[in-house]
Amino acid sequence: MAARPENAMARKPLTDGAIAAINLESARLQSWSRFWRAPERSALAELILEQELLTMQFRSDFGALDRLDRLASAVARADPGAAPAAIVAAQVACAAHRFEEARAALGEAQARGAPSDAVERLSLTLDQATGESLDCVLAARRRRAAQPGCWSELVPLGAVLADLCEFDEAERTYQHALRDYQDVSPFALAWVCFELGMLWSERVPVPRAEVAAQWYRAAIDILPCYVKARVHLAEILLSDGQNKDAEDLLRPALESVDPEVAWRLAEVAEAAGNAVEATTFAAAARAGFESLLARHPLAFADHGTEFYMAGGGEPARAFALARLNLANRPTLRAFEQAVDAALAAGEPLAAAELATKARQRWAGGAAFRNSSMAIWADDFQIGTNEVPRGSAHART
Amino acid sequence: MSDHIDGPRQIGDPSVDLSDLFAFRNPENPGRMVLAANAFPSAGASAVFSNAAFYAIALRRASVAGQGDAAKFKTDGEEFRFSFRFDTLEPRTDGKPIQRGTCMLPGGQQLRFVVNDENGASTPDGAFRVFAGLRSDPFLLAWIVGERSLTRCPNLLQHDNVLSVVVECDTRRVLDPAKGSLFAAIVETPPVPKPPGLVTHDPARFDWIGRPEQTNLRLNNPGLAGADDVRDLWNQQTPFAIAEEFKPLFRKRLLDSLANHDMRDGRADWTPAGLAASAEVFLDDFLLFDVLKPITDSSFLEIEKSTLNGLPYKTGGGRTIDAHDFDILLTWLVNRDKGEFMQGGATSATKPASKTFPYLAPPNAQVQMVVTSVDLSAPPDQVWALIGTFGAMWHPLIAGITLTGTGIGQLRTIDTVDGKRIIERLDAIDAAQRFYRYTMISGVPAADYTGTLDVKPKGAGSSAEWRVQYWADGQPDIVVRTIISTLEKVGLDSLKKRFG
Repeated sequence: MAARPENAMARKPLTDGAIAAINLESARLQSWSRFWRAPERSALAELILEQELLTMQFRSDFGALDRLDRLASAVARADPGAAPAAIVAAQVACAAHRFEEARAALGEAQARGAPSDAVERLSLTLDQATGESLDCVLAARRRRAAQPGCWSELVPLGAVLADLCEFDEAERTYQHALRDYQDVSPFALAWVCFELGMLWSERVPVPRAEVAAQWYRAAIDILPCYVKARVHLAEILLSDGQNKDAEDLLRPALESVDPEVAWRLAEVAEAAGNAVEATTFAAAARAGFESLLARHPLAFADHGTEFYMAGGGEPARAFALARLNLANRPTLRAFEQAVDAALAAGEPLAAAELATKARQRWAGGAAFRNSSMAIWADDFQIGTNEVPRGSAHART
Repeated sequence: MSDHIDGPRQIGDPSVDLSDLFAFRNPENPGRMVLAANAFPSAGASAVFSNAAFYAIALRRASVAGQGDAAKFKTDGEEFRFSFRFDTLEPRTDGKPIQRGTCMLPGGQQLRFVVNDENGASTPDGAFRVFAGLRSDPFLLAWIVGERSLTRCPNLLQHDNVLSVVVECDTRRVLDPAKGSLFAAIVETPPVPKPPGLVTHDPARFDWIGRPEQTNLRLNNPGLAGADDVRDLWNQQTPFAIAEEFKPLFRKRLLDSLANHDMRDGRADWTPAGLAASAEVFLDDFLLFDVLKPITDSSFLEIEKSTLNGLPYKTGGGRTIDAHDFDILLTWLVNRDKGEFMQGGATSATKPASKTFPYLAPPNAQVQMVVTSVDLSAPPDQVWALIGTFGAMWHPLIAGITLTGTGIGQLRTIDTVDGKRIIERLDAIDAAQRFYRYTMISGVPAADYTGTLDVKPKGAGSSAEWRVQYWADGQPDIVVRTIISTLEKVGLDSLKKRFG
């Protein structure tokens, strides 16, 4: 348990992260240029989709969602009745967390004869993202990952294991992914390191910040442009009082449009007693979240919830966003977040109701027992009607 | 399409995806041999080489070991290796990083160079000269090979760029043709080794190429429905030494594929024995060239063809940058040169080769795009009713429009308020989807200028988007971009004023 980067990951022949980032951007721009010359070439649309998703995932360039909407429209226009158009539409909707729309488009794709593998892959992604039939998702993920040459299936398998609180196996799966990686691109390997950081900082019942920090640092070493890894590591450093190190991590990421960078920098400034800078960064973060929420509310509802519960200082707005997120993807984590937001907004009855619903939904399974809501729902059932000490809100 | 994007591993990092290998004589000095290889298909303007792989061109002396249906080429063990390795990027004050590299030459010499320096670098004795950088992709692909069909099309790689490595050497001093003038060449991208003591499972190489189209046309023939994709397995083979255990698999695939191609014109031009011999020749995948014979735009594959026909070869074979090698290969596979030459839907690549070093043409400018959009309170149909006809007068900078013709192909002559005249042609219009597309004929200093106007529902209102893509033609891009963005912004701002 808790293998460290230096032990788990032998040095791989990876393309330098700065080179890879430049080449991704170069290829992305060129793909668009080619696409507009021949929008009917659906293979090119799939390539662009992949490049835009990488750009969003690693550089937090959320403009990718706008560009992808444009891509889906153009593909649909070029070949409206074709299966690839529906697949692209489903993938784009999924990327923006418009899961209902994505399922409808996927159904359309299937009806038009889209390849069964592509349909299954996206269907699993949707089920996993919305917490539907996770046991079936797990079985399918295991089956797919066991096939030869399916390295890319290992990371989603690790993620669904973590969703089901199978943390030991999730970690082993990620380690397996690190060990077996044979490509030269640094993106996928950085992603695995990031997921290990998430596992140790946000998923296990007793987080181990120092282990998580090492994995986030490994992700950044491999791919310096990895904005989310910088933000997550900065959070850990901030909570440990290492404000200067956190600031050094965040400053280079300011050019991204991820408002979490400005949010954390506001916290750095506040900790340093620099009220003016803290206010400036907080305003930038708020403007950033508002802009993203206006364009892609479902994609950023969970992040918006976190922001307005904390630095954003609007718990009622946070709870509204949490409910929006929960309606869109009723996962255990979404329930947990909604309960916390309800408590932060001074609505304990709503929180208890949500916790009870969550328990009914997961029938007391391991995942629920490990969640912050377990004790809340029990206490509510015996009629205390008070915020239990074990709830996430009480912890904060 | 040659070796472009020929497997999942290449999609992971396109900078190690090799696309083509060329071998030809310096057009102005036949005593110097040129070897060039391309990587990173559809590379953008800022593309650079991976620092994690070598880009290595390897030559071995070859000989004809059998003719006719027993055609066979043998290679000997001595290898001439030109191995490029690239550094990480060096920052510069102008924000554009620089990349340097080293080419390790046969005999152990090393040459340092700067990527994209057209002069390249030479050894003091002039025996070697090397270049690495972004160039125009010279490959011409003007066929779509379907399951049963062969369809001509415009060059699918038009305006594309690639990363190229080029080596020129003094043939006599370096290759010593007195020992044998026939050579076999490959290019590969093996990983740069890690420090000793680490146990890893790295692939032996990420990609390699001998003759063009081994992976994308012969091993992955779309006509073989349901056949497994064996390209990644092929890319992991060792050049000049395909694993014996996999040879039956690849041999059968090549045989099936060649038989399929033979019948694409509905006629069997190959005998079963001829197909088997051809599969055997292609199984030994290397680019053959004879340094003492002329290598021309049409000599590609001549060594293999003559040998399979039981004749001595007459040319230097090889592969020039301007060779229409896809068409040459397709003709050979489909009708064994007994029918018409299978010219694709285009007659030249984006740019012809240069007669001087580094021979590959400079990179193509990247298409520029200006996109402006505005969210409006009015429903889409209301907005479209105003702007959705090609001759509609709604733009504040337009003083008058004259239409010529009707429907697709219709021309509009726009007189602007500052006295300029712009002529545009309607290419597509769909009132149901509320968009139209047009091409600028004259009036803006740009080439391949295409505009699209589009209105979509958004919430209770709509969103109007105006997109123009173009190449700056004779003017600095900033001038053209300013003209176009002003047109778009003023136009869409006027909609905002009108519809809120």
